[in-house]
Amino acid sequence: MRPFHPYYIIEVLPVLIPYLLVTAGIVIGTVFFGSLLGILLAAGRIRRGRVGRVIANIYIYVIRCVPSIVLLFLVYYGLPEFLNVFGVDINNAGKGFFVITTFSILFAAAMAEVFRSAYEAVDKGQREAAVSIGLTEFQAFRRIVLPQCVRVAIPNFTNALINLMKEGSLAYTIGLIDIMGKGQLIIGQNQGSYSLEVYLALFILYWVLTVVIEKGAGLLETRLQYCRRTIA
Amino acid sequence: MKLDTKFMLETFIDVLGGVPVTLKITIVTLLVSVPAGFMMALSRAGNGRIGRRIIIAYVSLIRGTPVVLQILFLYSLLPTLLNYLIKEILGLEYNIFRLDPILYAYSVFILNTTAVLSEVFRSALSTVNQGQMEAALSIGMTKTQAYIRIIVPQALVAALPNICNTTVSLLKSTSLAFMMTVRDITAIAKIDASFGYNYLEAYLVIFFAYILLCSLVQGVFYLTEHSVSSYRREKAIRKAPVMQNG
Repeated sequence: MRPFHPYYIIEVLPVLIPYLLVTAGIVIGTVFFGSLLGILLAAGRIRRGRVGRVIANIYIYVIRCVPSIVLLFLVYYGLPEFLNVFGVDINNAGKGFFVITTFSILFAAAMAEVFRSAYEAVDKGQREAAVSIGLTEFQAFRRIVLPQCVRVAIPNFTNALINLMKEGSLAYTIGLIDIMGKGQLIIGQNQGSYSLEVYLALFILYWVLTVVIEKGAGLLETRLQYCRRTIA
Repeated sequence: MKLDTKFMLETFIDVLGGVPVTLKITIVTLLVSVPAGFMMALSRAGNGRIGRRIIIAYVSLIRGTPVVLQILFLYSLLPTLLNYLIKEILGLEYNIFRLDPILYAYSVFILNTTAVLSEVFRSALSTVNQGQMEAALSIGMTKTQAYIRIIVPQALVAALPNICNTTVSLLKSTSLAFMMTVRDITAIAKIDASFGYNYLEAYLVIFFAYILLCSLVQGVFYLTEHSVSSYRREKAIRKAPVMQNG
């Protein structure tokens, strides 16, 4: 039995914690670009246009079926060659670029569903009422429909966010140094010893992150729920 | 951009040989995890406080950490632990390192999927009205009978769409089994690619293989859902004329 040193978990935590910034950067970048693409996809599904809906449906179906690690390597190996056809050279782009691209593609599919279900959860009458009292179409969306959508979307968005954070740990496979990557590096430097301790430290970090995100979302939700006053 | 289509075709045929392994991992995991997850959901609804705490912590830990981390952890823990148990404690002469690595894949995915499914079943059980249980007890069924005949069938129907989602994500995470040296779809394609550095083509092949497999799984679930929810449709048909009159 190999020796197990619990104190090494505490020793390795401070080394890993700075790399949380990389993990956070990947998550934030992905949420930004993924949400933009997700809005387009959701619009494609909601709007009347047939072409848009077919494209959005195929996109969401395909992405739902593909393991993240496969897409990650497809993007990593394929995107430079694909862009080369158009004369764009991204062979020197950082690892972070490929990771954010991959996870934005994945996250967009999840977000499209989140946005669509949130939009459909808000009663059509809300928009009609707003327009009937003289708000423009944009004002009705911005002031009446959107705030209600946001509240409905929070639980699903939180799930997607936690999934993204967990899947993001795969980025180490193409050599990105986030907390997972740093953990693997430490194990490599120790010639494979202390691996259990490092993995346990990573378990703690990911678990804490998930719980913090969940709790934060819960708080936000109750805060926004407050606006929902009833007459009686 | 040039794709080696001949290589892709050859790899695709090779990869088909890995499909049984991928499906085996998925099916074995489901066969163990569905009952285990269900029991977990039931005992979480029960009275035992300590058991409940443990289950809540377990589910939260598994769902709060990446699968790849669970794989790496268990794959570096289990072999040495088992070796120690067999050699030192049981005193047997068995080389644990000759064990089929698929067993480690089973254990990781079972641990993971059980936690996810217990949440699925918990929400499914909560969709069944308490009155169903009371009605079943009032006509003289025992609690076990009530569960088996009344509650479980209804909960399963409610849980099917989520079980489908869980299966799809399980199928996708089996692509990480190559980290445990299991020769599944991903591993075979990667080995093929390593001879001529045709990684792009290999990953495209895996991509298509998974789309096919996922479509298969979703098709199966669609048909199951269609057949088990037949009692709901009958009700809907019977209701329809009343609505027309009214």
